[in-house]
Amino acid sequence: MLRCVYHGYSMTILTRLEQWIEREIISPEQHALLAGLSRGEPFSVFLELNILLYAGILLFVGGLGWTVSTWSQQLGDVLVLSLLTLILAACFWYSFCRVPDWSPKEVASPSLVFDYVLYLGCLIWTVELAYIENRFQILSGQADLYLLATAGLYFFLAYRFDNRFVLSLALTSLAGYFGLAISHWRSNQNAEYRQYAILYSLMVGGAGAFLERQGLKPHFFGTYLNIAANVLFWALLSGIFERLNHVVWFLFLLAACGASLAWGLKRRQFSFVAYAAFYGYVGVSSMLLRGLRDFAVVTYFLVSGVAMLVMLVWIARRFGREQ
Amino acid sequence: MRAYHATDEESLLTRSLLKDWAGEGFLSESQQQQMQQECVCELRRTNIFLRLVIFFFALIIVGAAVGLFFLVFLERLSQQTIGIFLLAFAAISYVAAELATSRARLYRYGIEEALVVCSVGFVCVGMYFTLSSGSVLFSSGRNVAEFLAAVAGSILSVWIWHRFGLPYFFLGAMIFAVWLPPYWTSSAAARHVAVAALYAAGLLTVMTVRPRHRFTFLNQQYSIAEALLWFGIYLAINLQLSDSKVSGQGWFAAPATSEFSRPIYWTTWALIWCLPPVVLARGLRLKDRFVIAAGSIVAILTLITNKPYLGGERHTWDPMLLGAFLIFFALVIRRWLASGPNEIRHGFTARRLSGKDKVWINTTTTVIGLAAPNAIAPSPQATSPDVQFGGGDSGGGGASSDW
Repeated sequence: MLRCVYHGYSMTILTRLEQWIEREIISPEQHALLAGLSRGEPFSVFLELNILLYAGILLFVGGLGWTVSTWSQQLGDVLVLSLLTLILAACFWYSFCRVPDWSPKEVASPSLVFDYVLYLGCLIWTVELAYIENRFQILSGQADLYLLATAGLYFFLAYRFDNRFVLSLALTSLAGYFGLAISHWRSNQNAEYRQYAILYSLMVGGAGAFLERQGLKPHFFGTYLNIAANVLFWALLSGIFERLNHVVWFLFLLAACGASLAWGLKRRQFSFVAYAAFYGYVGVSSMLLRGLRDFAVVTYFLVSGVAMLVMLVWIARRFGREQ
Repeated sequence: MRAYHATDEESLLTRSLLKDWAGEGFLSESQQQQMQQECVCELRRTNIFLRLVIFFFALIIVGAAVGLFFLVFLERLSQQTIGIFLLAFAAISYVAAELATSRARLYRYGIEEALVVCSVGFVCVGMYFTLSSGSVLFSSGRNVAEFLAAVAGSILSVWIWHRFGLPYFFLGAMIFAVWLPPYWTSSAAARHVAVAALYAAGLLTVMTVRPRHRFTFLNQQYSIAEALLWFGIYLAINLQLSDSKVSGQGWFAAPATSEFSRPIYWTTWALIWCLPPVVLARGLRLKDRFVIAAGSIVAILTLITNKPYLGGERHTWDPMLLGAFLIFFALVIRRWLASGPNEIRHGFTARRLSGKDKVWINTTTTVIGLAAPNAIAPSPQATSPDVQFGGGDSGGGGASSDW
């Protein structure tokens, strides 16, 4: 094994590249490219431009929604709806005109702005739909149908345009249909919400697995599974925190943790190992700590903490060495 | 001075670059494997998710061990004695962290990080407990013990940042530094100046040391520190952000000018316009991602806080205009770069050159995308007589709420 120490100093990447070209491991062209990249020549602002676009769109639609909600009477329905429809049409026209051929596999975006234009269109659709329903109450009392239809539209667009932003919107809309808006989480952890949450997570996880197996945009599967796992764990934990039937929820939680751990280790997706460890620990602790006093509580944390740490270090050494 | 051998850290950086270049197709798989064999690293690392949970459980263990010690052996002790024991625990935690890195060769593993976090916490609380009983007061009426605890926390954080290379400890040191000026002066303006001066001193130090490490593994560490310091200086001089009376009220907060004289107020207003171009120019000159990010953020914050500074009327469409400006700016820059020879201008390109960028974008947008629909549909102003539709907490596609 070579230890790369050069004149008493550790070798920088530039020194190593010099050595590799001398030994003809890389070509002169590769050397020029890689040495340039190491020095930031050229320096890519791809990430920065993406962040600016994303933040810009969120601010733009946020301000637009705020403005039409505050000034709708002064502006008038015709003007508001015309403006929103115009932006919506422009976004969808741009997207459909430039869409690459569909493929079940991952398709690279044709340009930097392409994904964001579609995302802008979807967010404008949200604002326009909200405006129409609030002004005209067309589907009064059945707003969940809007959510279902919107989720369907977003799923279609996400798969047609291979767009993760829109997939997130679709999953959130579907969650809304199940009565699961994130903003409601803290205040409404009752049995009804829990059942909907579990149903939602099973549906999303199942659909994601089915689509992956069918080879339809398999790179979306991670998004499905992460959302499904988190919603499921929150729902099960909320059941454990309640007095009634908490043992049943506890057993479900243990099963979910086992499945998450097995999946994470099998697929080397360590976020699922982390979910199993964290949610499982919270659930088990809430069960075991009921009625315990100071000394027992602290002892429990010490012993259980050591046990968890030993297990996680073993997993890390056995499975998760690489970053 | 570093806890790790430079060769190991340089090898880690090289391996990371090789993996990235191979992912982008700049290197073949066989080339990558051959080159990686020469970048042997003996440090033990782990996955980021495992690192987080290991950190969490290591914190629990240390906290529980200390708690158990006090429960079993030292119940009903004086505050001073507790403080002395906490200082001892701080030393034990720190030594354990050193052993974890030197013997077990742990690197960003969670365990050593939790131990140094505990050592800083124990030092601060321990010093406060030890010195607070019967300690001297400053002329401002504040306790010297609190001041010394903050000083100790700041110094230890800087040391840990330097020795272990953990960037969040530099942020911790900066936060500790914010607590110092109130012990020297009761003047709000002087406090702002003092914090900015402390950060400026740190910035000068970092800027002096940094050029020596331009293409080494230490470059990123200094880059993050410099970006944090620029950002800290900006927060200290922007009275609309750093004044606690205003910061909690968000976009529509009223300016609180009463505590500051007019010359100081308007000087800070001028400075918040001067600082972003300076930071951006330096970031672009050094091609430093973190400093560019700091410059961009402070530029956007200047645009946001300009109206409150001038006492101007704020409108619901202000965020929309800012968003449109950001989109326009990004598109112009992209177009300008793309029209250059080989899509490069002045050494900059809008093309993706690293797979990490894509991973970052995918992860961030998935996480933020779930919460974004809430953010983009704010509640209408309660005072407005023109409110036509509710909402404000809708999920995606207006999920839920009352629309």
